[in-house]
Amino acid sequence: MSAFSYSRDFEVVQRMRPEPATAAECAAQALVGDLDFDIFKHKMHMIALEGKETTMKLGASTAMRWGDVAFGVFTAQGDLAVCATGIYHHAVLGQIPIKYVVKHWVREPSVRAREGDAFFYNDPFYGGVHNADMGLAVPVFHGGELVCFVGAAVHTGECGGAEPGGTSPLARTQYEEGLRVPPIKIGEDFRLKEDLLNMLAAMTRDPRTMILDIKARLAAARIAERRVKDLIEAQGREFFIGALRKILTVTGEAARRRIARLNDGIYRQPRFMDTVGTGAGLTRINLAVIKKGDRITLDLSGTSPLVAGKPVNSFFQGIIGLAMVYFCGWLFHDLPANNGLLEAVDWRFPEDSMVNAGGEVSTSMAPVVQVCFTQGMFLCGARMVYGAIPSHAVAAWFSGFAIPVYGGFNQFGDPIADISPEINATGAGARPDMDGVDVAGAFFATLSDCSDVESTEADRPFLYTFRNFFKNSYGHGRFRGGAGAGFGLMVHNVPGLALGAMGAGARFPMTLGVFGGYASPPTFVQYVEGSNLGGLMADNRASRPGRLDDVYSDVNPELGRRSLHDIAMAVQVFRTGDTIYFGVGGGGGYGDALERDPQAVMNDLRDNRMARWAARGIYHVVYDEASLRVDHEATARKRQAVRDERRQRGRRYSEFMRDWQQLRPPAQALTYYGEYPDSGRSVEQAPAAVSL
Amino acid sequence: MEILPGCVRSLHNCMDSLHEGVNTMMRIGVDVGGTFTDFCTVSDDGRMRVAKTPTTHYDLSVGFMKGLRQLARECGSDLKALLEQAESIRYSTTVGTNALIERTGPKLGLITTAGFEDTIFIGRSRSWADGGSVEANRDLARIVKPVPLIAPDMVVGVRARMDYNGAVVAPLQRDDVLEQLQTLVDRGAMGFVVCLLWSFVNPVDEREVKRIIEEEYPEDYLGAMPVFLSSDISPKGGEYTRAMTSIVNAYIHSTMADELNKLGNELRDAGFRRPLVLVHSTGGTKKMSRTRAVLTHSAGPVAGLYGAALVGATSGDNNIIFTDMGGTSFDIGVIAGGEIRLQDFIPVVDRWRTNIPSVEVKSIGAGGGSIAWINRSLGNTLEVGPRSAGSMPGPACYDQGGTEPTVTDADLVLGYYNPDNYLGGTLQLEPDLAHATIEEHIARPLGISALEAAWRIRRLIDAKMGQEVFNEVALKGHDPRRFTLFAGGGAGAAHASGIAPHIGAGRVVVPAVAPVSGAFGAATMKVSELWEKSRRLRIFEWASQRYLEDIEAFNSVVRELADLAVRDLRLEGYAEQSMHLDLDLEMRFGSQYNLTRIRAPRLYLESADDYRALGELFVIRYGEIYSPEATFLVGGINIESFCLSAWVEAPLYAPAAASLAGTEPPPAAHVGTRPACWHPARGFIDTPVYNFAGLQPGNVIAGAAIIEARETTYVIEPGWSFRLDSWRNGILESAPLQRPA
Repeated sequence: MSAFSYSRDFEVVQRMRPEPATAAECAAQALVGDLDFDIFKHKMHMIALEGKETTMKLGASTAMRWGDVAFGVFTAQGDLAVCATGIYHHAVLGQIPIKYVVKHWVREPSVRAREGDAFFYNDPFYGGVHNADMGLAVPVFHGGELVCFVGAAVHTGECGGAEPGGTSPLARTQYEEGLRVPPIKIGEDFRLKEDLLNMLAAMTRDPRTMILDIKARLAAARIAERRVKDLIEAQGREFFIGALRKILTVTGEAARRRIARLNDGIYRQPRFMDTVGTGAGLTRINLAVIKKGDRITLDLSGTSPLVAGKPVNSFFQGIIGLAMVYFCGWLFHDLPANNGLLEAVDWRFPEDSMVNAGGEVSTSMAPVVQVCFTQGMFLCGARMVYGAIPSHAVAAWFSGFAIPVYGGFNQFGDPIADISPEINATGAGARPDMDGVDVAGAFFATLSDCSDVESTEADRPFLYTFRNFFKNSYGHGRFRGGAGAGFGLMVHNVPGLALGAMGAGARFPMTLGVFGGYASPPTFVQYVEGSNLGGLMADNRASRPGRLDDVYSDVNPELGRRSLHDIAMAVQVFRTGDTIYFGVGGGGGYGDALERDPQAVMNDLRDNRMARWAARGIYHVVYDEASLRVDHEATARKRQAVRDERRQRGRRYSEFMRDWQQLRPPAQALTYYGEYPDSGRSVEQAPAAVSL
Repeated sequence: MEILPGCVRSLHNCMDSLHEGVNTMMRIGVDVGGTFTDFCTVSDDGRMRVAKTPTTHYDLSVGFMKGLRQLARECGSDLKALLEQAESIRYSTTVGTNALIERTGPKLGLITTAGFEDTIFIGRSRSWADGGSVEANRDLARIVKPVPLIAPDMVVGVRARMDYNGAVVAPLQRDDVLEQLQTLVDRGAMGFVVCLLWSFVNPVDEREVKRIIEEEYPEDYLGAMPVFLSSDISPKGGEYTRAMTSIVNAYIHSTMADELNKLGNELRDAGFRRPLVLVHSTGGTKKMSRTRAVLTHSAGPVAGLYGAALVGATSGDNNIIFTDMGGTSFDIGVIAGGEIRLQDFIPVVDRWRTNIPSVEVKSIGAGGGSIAWINRSLGNTLEVGPRSAGSMPGPACYDQGGTEPTVTDADLVLGYYNPDNYLGGTLQLEPDLAHATIEEHIARPLGISALEAAWRIRRLIDAKMGQEVFNEVALKGHDPRRFTLFAGGGAGAAHASGIAPHIGAGRVVVPAVAPVSGAFGAATMKVSELWEKSRRLRIFEWASQRYLEDIEAFNSVVRELADLAVRDLRLEGYAEQSMHLDLDLEMRFGSQYNLTRIRAPRLYLESADDYRALGELFVIRYGEIYSPEATFLVGGINIESFCLSAWVEAPLYAPAAASLAGTEPPPAAHVGTRPACWHPARGFIDTPVYNFAGLQPGNVIAGAAIIEARETTYVIEPGWSFRLDSWRNGILESAPLQRPA
């Protein structure tokens, strides 16, 4: 091994777009007829689907159980050509570790890639997100020639970091994030290497889940490998190589055609985060989407610098991965999901920024940074597509995370460490013609599942005290965002459990509305140490909190040492009977709340989705408090009065800006922010977009 | 109406009908479809008759009685005589499904655990995707959750709580129940579903709620309302699916009871003195009076699958992929080793995830009515489906107002269908309309001829169906290439030889009973029922790395289920000696969520070795399905759920085999030739056309050829041959095996 430097490969991570077609691919592609190609595409989709379903069936971690699984078929050069998933970024980012394998190991004499091998990886520099996201891929050979890779990437709930549950909000550097494995060969001759499995198991708190997840990925990959080989036997290797490449080609062309339909323009959306791990700290992700002709450029100039000593950084490739979530699920939902879509996309990331991590900084909470970026992508996207595809100009789903992380032993004495499935209990954004869906999943893991409570309680030491819609959790508007879920957990039947929370958006909203719609409100955590709730339940004569708003009611009978925390709460040791309460946010609102159908407002009151103050103070509906009957005439008069009042409050833009520019955040808030105010450099003045 | 004249003749050539006074018992199967209701009667001595009537959606009993009269005529008898000789009438009804789709059920109230009132609306987040197509589920800007069966204001919570062990954490309070009950009654509840957390482990609270309701609204009062407990309907873990199973059951219960009681009265008036029997999604039949409504879902396709298994037993096929290609959907079921097993899947009823024990018959949106279209986003690529023209307006060639090109239009352009003899001449087809729409919508945008376009439409839909079949079988842990493809449905015989290469199947059977496969299956199914219960038992423990021995716990669950089964079948009138019990176990490694089902080698365990053997069997079965690399004994093995099936021995219907004639079809069966296209490069070729009714068992026809039957058209592609077997099943074989083009 002569050319290997034992350090990060900065070149390979740049290769997000399809590799240039090889001469063999070009020649083979030309031979693929239209009909055979259409049949091939469907077959490859079937293979990927079987891989995904098998992975889900066999895996054990929360993400495996509830469907956050990406299964892909990659070309021999490592490009993602076909995937089955609702978690597109893992599929797209999965190509980088494979390209790493192609570049470094396929011809390296001490490693090589042979039939029957399997490669494992979780280094976030290559996987793009954080250490808990782990993947496994196998090379597929035919006649001695490497023809493609197949593999699965899924979040495994525990990776041996400083804190349990896959994220380490207190991590100062990458060395506190736990297991970090650049692509390694974990199996040979169709067998996993037990010594390596043993090592990986030893490095996490939940070895059983770690191994089951690895085996699930491998079993699915082996099935897909067999299917691919059968297909090649039937149709020939040249056809397979050419058709796989052709998928990328036609996808890229289709993406550019779609972009060309949209209005040219620069769509800006700065987004802000309120936490740097577990403490407060203001940072900015400054997105401008520049649409010109058949290309768009994602310009992140002006984003806050690297946050040293804190885990709120992301590698740039992870940001591209999350952009692909928006592309695959919204902008290009009817096109094949693969990295050919990036043929229509350029990007520009400032050096040493929190969206372009370098050095040894921690990226453990990169998911928070990335969903914050995606929020901007939704907002820019809504304006960008409004003219051409108005039905898809929608507000964002909740973009903040609000999830428990935990570790310890369950009620049966088995080791556990994971997150809870309510990561998938967020509300969807409002649409131009309808409300967002209440508790729809997670925008980055669509088709995911928030589980039954019974399934979680069956082998996790929790007793849910309630789980239902989180009242007022969405952005109001002409059409409102979908509600999120609120839930309470009591530690049950174990002496103790390490428990904390991961997320952002406790101090200001993470999820804004569009076209006048409201943001979804901030969310936070309440911890009650030494709670008397268990006793109240055993006695069961008085009502107790049945919804999140009851928890904060003046008449809540629960007693104990209450403390409120940011949604990013450091892991603490809970004892049996202690409680913790979470609110998972809803989607952003769409349009002016004064235009909302008053009856829809009443329906939300009736269904416990909204508080009465919102009906009166935001929607300005006049109604009978007992019967919820709307007085339409009085409502119209009141709404007109509010509009008149708005007009009176209105100021000229220049006046507004004069006063606005006098305002300054407190210096303490700008610790991590970077330059304030902006240098004034426009997007057009920025360096040319990186075109790799 | 003589549906299968040749079939009937050959099956019963030496026996004839009721009026001869042969006093054998007959079983009648009835299957309601979207267009036709099918009837089939079989008798112990191997005779069979069939009939078909248009489905009367406004009142299914009208078509039902009309069909029975027609069936009696087929038997050379009258309705009264037919019903007097009928041992049972087995009905695959869609009454419940219709009530669900049309939302005509009663206003129900749901009583659940306080704090979890939104569970059915949350729907585990992804209820918007359940029952949706792949395409719709990717369009995330437009997703919508289905309209709930119970409105939010009809859900109340009672402050009772149990934990995972069934231990009471918060005791049920009578006053609390009464208060919540009154809320629902005041809001107009006409029935109640009770679903409390962990009730499947400890049902005592649910039973107490029911007792309180019945105490308040006794049965002898007009205000009495039905109460459905989730721990009775679906004693399995997972509160969302348990609640939805119970709600769907309650929602369709009264509609089904009303309609089926009405039908029962009509049958009694007509002379039928036995109880009506219903086909269940579990693959058995039960008296209507002892049937839970939700178990009638998908009964028709499931009955068809059982019918295919019986045909396979006769023809020597025990690994069968059953398919039914109709106008709008393509159904897929699997028979492996002669057995139809319940699979580890989540049955979606309408748009609701349930946990009913069910045989899986997957339905995909593909059929003769599937619409071909050009995907301009992808640069003018051809797509077929999932949208369908259905039966109205139907394909363009039906001349009923359809303007979009369909698979049937393509088949007609290719010359495979006879426009004057489609469905026995009951529907005149218009080739010009088919040609024009394919020309306009497909050929012109692609710059190809209409013939080439039709060819591509057919090839693409065949490939998609074949690939879907492959996945469906493979996901159940089988190698599809070892299976025989059974092709049913109106378009099945026309597409079977195009679909088979994508499965790797070199042999296709088009059963003689295919046009009435659901009714045939219903008539020949066993009486059976399933009882399930979630109960976690550890076989191998991770922490101690040893096998455990909880034999008594295992046996007590089995005993409980067996007692239920035996009591139930006794009430059906069967002696214990005639009952058979089989036990399936749902198991998993460690903390996996999904379960893998194995058949227990014995009902009760006697020793530690028996207990250990379950673990070893699970490892073997899991390794067979997913590869040995995937097994993980040391991670621990649990049993999570028990499923006991009980069935009663019934006389096996064994149709008589006709003697084989020569391989050469009789000249009269060869009705001429027709130009048909077998590859666009070669254009139209004069192709021999045969009349199915004129063929004799043993006849062989080499492709390319077309065989016109009354209900379907056999398209025998070049490289395939057709043979009629002793039971008038059409056997299509390729030699050598066809590979996809």
